[in-house]
Amino acid sequence: MGASLALLLKGAAVTASVSAAAIALGVPLGLALALIRWRRVPLLSQVTAAYVSLIRATPAITLALLIFFALPTFGVALDPTTAAVLTLTINTSAFNCEIWRSALIDFSRDQLDAAAAFGMRPGVAFRRIIFPQIWRTSLPALVNEMTLLVKASPALAVIGIVDLTRAASRIGAATYKPLPPFIAATVLYVALVLVLVAVQRLVEARVKRRLQAA
Amino acid sequence: MIAGFGIVAAHFREFAAGLANTLWLAGATLVLASVLGCILAALMLSRTRFVRTSIGLFVDAMRCVPFLLLAYLVYYGLPELGIRFDSWSSGLSALAVYHACYVAEIVRGAWSHLPREQIEAGRAYGFSGYALFRRVVLPQLFFAAAPLIGNQTVYIIKDTAFLMIITVPELTFVASSIQATYFVPFASFMFAMALYWIVTLVVEASVRRIEAAAETRRAG
Amino acid sequence: MQAEDQPVVAVEARGLCKRFGKLEVLKKVTFTVPRGTTVCILGPSGSGKSTLLRCLNFLEQPDEGEVLLRGERVGVKDGALMKERELCAFRVRMAMVFQHFNLWPHLTALGNVIESPIHVLGRPRETAVEDGRELLRKVGLADKTDVYPHTLSGGQKQRVAIARALAINPEVLLFDEPTSSLDPEIVGEVLSVMKQLSSEGMTMIVVTHEMSFAHEAADAVLFMDGGRIVESSAPDEFFAKPRTERARQFLQRYVR
Repeated sequence: MGASLALLLKGAAVTASVSAAAIALGVPLGLALALIRWRRVPLLSQVTAAYVSLIRATPAITLALLIFFALPTFGVALDPTTAAVLTLTINTSAFNCEIWRSALIDFSRDQLDAAAAFGMRPGVAFRRIIFPQIWRTSLPALVNEMTLLVKASPALAVIGIVDLTRAASRIGAATYKPLPPFIAATVLYVALVLVLVAVQRLVEARVKRRLQAA
Repeated sequence: MIAGFGIVAAHFREFAAGLANTLWLAGATLVLASVLGCILAALMLSRTRFVRTSIGLFVDAMRCVPFLLLAYLVYYGLPELGIRFDSWSSGLSALAVYHACYVAEIVRGAWSHLPREQIEAGRAYGFSGYALFRRVVLPQLFFAAAPLIGNQTVYIIKDTAFLMIITVPELTFVASSIQATYFVPFASFMFAMALYWIVTLVVEASVRRIEAAAETRRAG
Repeated sequence: MQAEDQPVVAVEARGLCKRFGKLEVLKKVTFTVPRGTTVCILGPSGSGKSTLLRCLNFLEQPDEGEVLLRGERVGVKDGALMKERELCAFRVRMAMVFQHFNLWPHLTALGNVIESPIHVLGRPRETAVEDGRELLRKVGLADKTDVYPHTLSGGQKQRVAIARALAINPEVLLFDEPTSSLDPEIVGEVLSVMKQLSSEGMTMIVVTHEMSFAHEAADAVLFMDGGRIVESSAPDEFFAKPRTERARQFLQRYVR
């Protein structure tokens, strides 16, 4: 039982670390894609729109298989972990792009007018005025997408990653008692999701406290 | 690489069969999940506290868990309790139960955001009980929930791909077999992705039409 | 110190035209604003007043015509739209006060005031803060330096906006209906700040519906209707003896 728990925890660690890496890369990448579309960069903007639409329609498993098996045919051979992080990053960046884009589109025109009137170039306006506000309003949607990323991560089993789900499945196959490890895995996934939600609440509370200090 | 697409084209019928299975699974899930989801939503609004909390906990738990884990639970775990499903039935039942919980949340949200004035107006015009529900409440509920359920359909389609792991011959499974047999990974998976894309675009276009219909009704 | 035989022209507009789709909003608008004067632009809604103001600092790009700031052409160089950097350099010489204040909500009052001086003009922080505090004191908000805009009343927000505009030492202040969003009781506190600035010799172009301000503080009144400047005169003349029929109709509606 102890050995099983250790294996499960190892799987949970794999899930957590791969997800964390993909989140760290995918959130800024999504912002970059959203900015390309928002600023209407010629050609790049349309390509991004098509790319985002395609990726959002693609199951994580299919994308993982494409990246892991197709890239070597172009001379790029990735180890499973890198392929896993790349898959999840590409996947989540497409969804994050839409989240950021929605925030940018909804951003107050009045504030942008003021920024322009006071001589701020677009880059300065983004850094000083837009971003400090949109990261706060986008936080719930971004965290929601993070939980979806964690829930998509079992797809990585097909490229050899022993994540939490695969670990539970292996233990069940070895012990002929699949239910206990599956239940335990459920508990661990709930814990991961709760951690994400807790971090979100913490950040929101800190922001609220700061803004109310008068 | 170009030759790869040639091989894929030669096996188009297998891809089509895989796509058909994907669409069948998604469609059946949509129907089952919608019905089950409405039942769950109704239970979550029950007057009995025990029913409300226990169903609520179940729905919340389902929404925290990865779909594949549930599919494994049904396919590998239930036999331990003596319930044995084949891969198809496991897949479909897991999909239905999983997405029913999301539908339940959508319906519950739509219910709590129903514009009260419309219902009061219905009452004022003599509607009551079942007639009130059917002619005033239900259309409102439908138009509020339909776009979200339409979006959920895209998630359902994507989740069907997980079932390739338990050897259900849907689209990704076919793409994977073809690529393993003929060594054409790029062509095979890109073609599958293109098919998923087309299906998703059709679903999204339908959702937009429902939203447009909802808008005219709200304005009118 | 500056005895002038000829008034220096601060802002000049020549033949400005602006279309939104098929709608012609500005039709060959031409006027000059001498330095140190206050010009009020009056007119019915839809006459193009705000659009004209926004063309001066190129928030809107005119389809035809020129805008000159102290003789230098704004916004267009060698026949093409200026690069952002050059356009921004012009914009900080003309500060704008907006109808809806347009304060940045994530910054305190002082934060709003020092933002452009530090991040656009490159002034050192200590200087900007010191100057900012002084400006907020000048508009009567010395005790509100570290509060966020959402806690302020409309009149207070607008006064912060005026302090923000003054902080960049502009050559011209542009006011776009500065009191139209304020409750009547609060309008006075903003107008008195504006009157003070006017009497101190600030060059101001004010789009407004506040006739009393135009009458008391303006050196010239431009009356716009249908995208054109229909009448241009001193305030006494305009309010007592309007020359055109449109102006007469307008005044009848607004002034009792």
